[in-house]
Amino acid sequence: MSNIKKIFIDKKISKSELENKNNYFEIFKKKGFPNKKLEDWKFLDLNYEINNQIPNLNFVIKKSKINKNQILENIPINIKEFNYVLNINGFVEEINFSHEDKSFINIETNPDKKNKIISNALENLNLAFNLDYLCINIKQDYKVKKPLLILNVIIENIKSSNINKKFDIFLEKNAEISVLNLVQNNSKNNFFNLHQRFILNQSSILKNYFVDINKNQNLNYIKTDIEIEKNSISENVVISKNSDYCKNEIVCNLLDQFSSAFINGIIDLDNSQKHEIRTRINHLAENTKSYQLIKCVLNNQSKAVYQGKIYVDSKAQKTDGYQSSKAILLNENTEFNGKPELEIYADDVKCSHGSSSGNLDENKIFYLMTRGLNKNEAKKLLIDGYLMEVIDKITDERIKAIIKEIIKI
Amino acid sequence: MLEIRNLKATVEKKSILNGLNLHIKPGEVHALMGPNGSGKSTLSNILSGKKGYETSGDVFYENKNLFDLEIEERAHKGLFLAFQYPLEIPGVNNNNFLKTSLNAIRKARGEKELDAIEFLKIIKQKAKDLKFEEKNLNRQLNVGFSGGEKKKNEILQMSILQPKLSILDETDSGLDIDALKIVSDGVNSLRDESKSFLIITHYQRLLNYIKPDFVHVLKNGRIIKSGNSDLAVELENKGYEGIN
Repeated sequence: MSNIKKIFIDKKISKSELENKNNYFEIFKKKGFPNKKLEDWKFLDLNYEINNQIPNLNFVIKKSKINKNQILENIPINIKEFNYVLNINGFVEEINFSHEDKSFINIETNPDKKNKIISNALENLNLAFNLDYLCINIKQDYKVKKPLLILNVIIENIKSSNINKKFDIFLEKNAEISVLNLVQNNSKNNFFNLHQRFILNQSSILKNYFVDINKNQNLNYIKTDIEIEKNSISENVVISKNSDYCKNEIVCNLLDQFSSAFINGIIDLDNSQKHEIRTRINHLAENTKSYQLIKCVLNNQSKAVYQGKIYVDSKAQKTDGYQSSKAILLNENTEFNGKPELEIYADDVKCSHGSSSGNLDENKIFYLMTRGLNKNEAKKLLIDGYLMEVIDKITDERIKAIIKEIIKI
Repeated sequence: MLEIRNLKATVEKKSILNGLNLHIKPGEVHALMGPNGSGKSTLSNILSGKKGYETSGDVFYENKNLFDLEIEERAHKGLFLAFQYPLEIPGVNNNNFLKTSLNAIRKARGEKELDAIEFLKIIKQKAKDLKFEEKNLNRQLNVGFSGGEKKKNEILQMSILQPKLSILDETDSGLDIDALKIVSDGVNSLRDESKSFLIITHYQRLLNYIKPDFVHVLKNGRIIKSGNSDLAVELENKGYEGIN
């Protein structure tokens, strides 16, 4: 308890909340960072990476002096054109919904949540230390006009080596929103732990995207939980490219009829980077649909992992589940691990999965070179083309343009 | 333009070309005919720089040793191969690819690269000339194209890049009669005193539309007979077996 108290000494925080935080921290301490002995972590051992990169993990809550305008100037996007939440070093600096009718959007900070027991160690860590937990509620029938950018900036020389962020978005019946999570992490050897939860009520649409803006030597863990009610659609695209270590875990619950979940991802790595996308789609009702396409490009000792599970409950007849993961290995010293899984308890379902890996086609390189491109240009064109299939799954054209600009495709 | 002297080529210890000689001057159109397995495609692959062949002999292109040039340098210097089987490149927009290709060549030649608008003007006119459907410019490169569309796309690339020496590797195979005429018109419109063509084909049919200056018969990796366009007619009547 003394630890937590000390950390939160400057924050106005109730005694009961502090107690909650302490409980979460105790659970985390007991469990520790997940390691390869756990099935879900067997390919990329976070405990090992943390010990290696951040041996003195510490959590400091003090706000540092920042120059907000300068920070915004360094972001390659004019965020004023969009709705945005600007988080700097984990603190919410600004929330802007100037493009919207605000009577349809309700925002709450640090809501008083009941103490829940959660088994995931990193979620416990997050609940113990997260700052400015946001809950955004989009009211019935409201379609948010402009995409919401959630911009997480971490400055150079930040004292804390661990930032925990948490937010929830609730879509009421027939509501719609597009969300782009951006991380610009200018520090080094920092562990960014983000948990996001989306609740989609009937006939609502969520488009949710993630991308790291800059190349950085940090570790990311992004956990996404999505609850999907009747007739609702959740579209997710993860671009996993720029940090040293990144694990995206996405859990979708298809709760009622005609709900659907789309998860598409790119893992594009170089120089010993290690990234993973792990998904779990739970088909829990009849006539639900899921689609997943993950494409990886691996260069120079990098390693990618895709673990994807489709679970079909005995009630979930007429499920349509599709999953495919592909990898291009540019060198012999790269590694791709695919673990596709189907667990099906209903008998009238359509589910398929596939995984493949290989090299770039030499004949295609030759073809492009005969048209005047040098070898590197030919390879880049082929790789960009290969990844375009995933980029084209981004149906929000405004966000697609931002992502294409960031990843230079 | 191109001078091939005693070119021999083997692949995996199997000899394919056995001392081939060929001299193409600026402005000339040469047709190379021969049965399956005579070495026609091997020759076009070697000329455009494909790896995997062991070669001996000399090939001079514009008086320089062709083997000293990388694949893309050959393209920069005006050598073009229209593929027998053009490859499908998923995710790459046809238009962007053509622009990238043209600008790579212009850059290598020290010419100004074209912006999107300048390029569009050119490509639209060329596509119209070749009756190449404009919607195919915005499709992925060759993906899902019919055989004829792929071949037309090769000729479109050729007419954009304006090569000095074009090698057409069985461009006529898989073309219906209308497409054959369009492709031939495309080639004929490029003909002038500085541009040369090597047309590789099985059939005389194409040569009704593109009148060659010389016809060569390739058999067992060697040119066994050369002549004018009458030789193609003779071949059509007698078959390759009848030529000695």
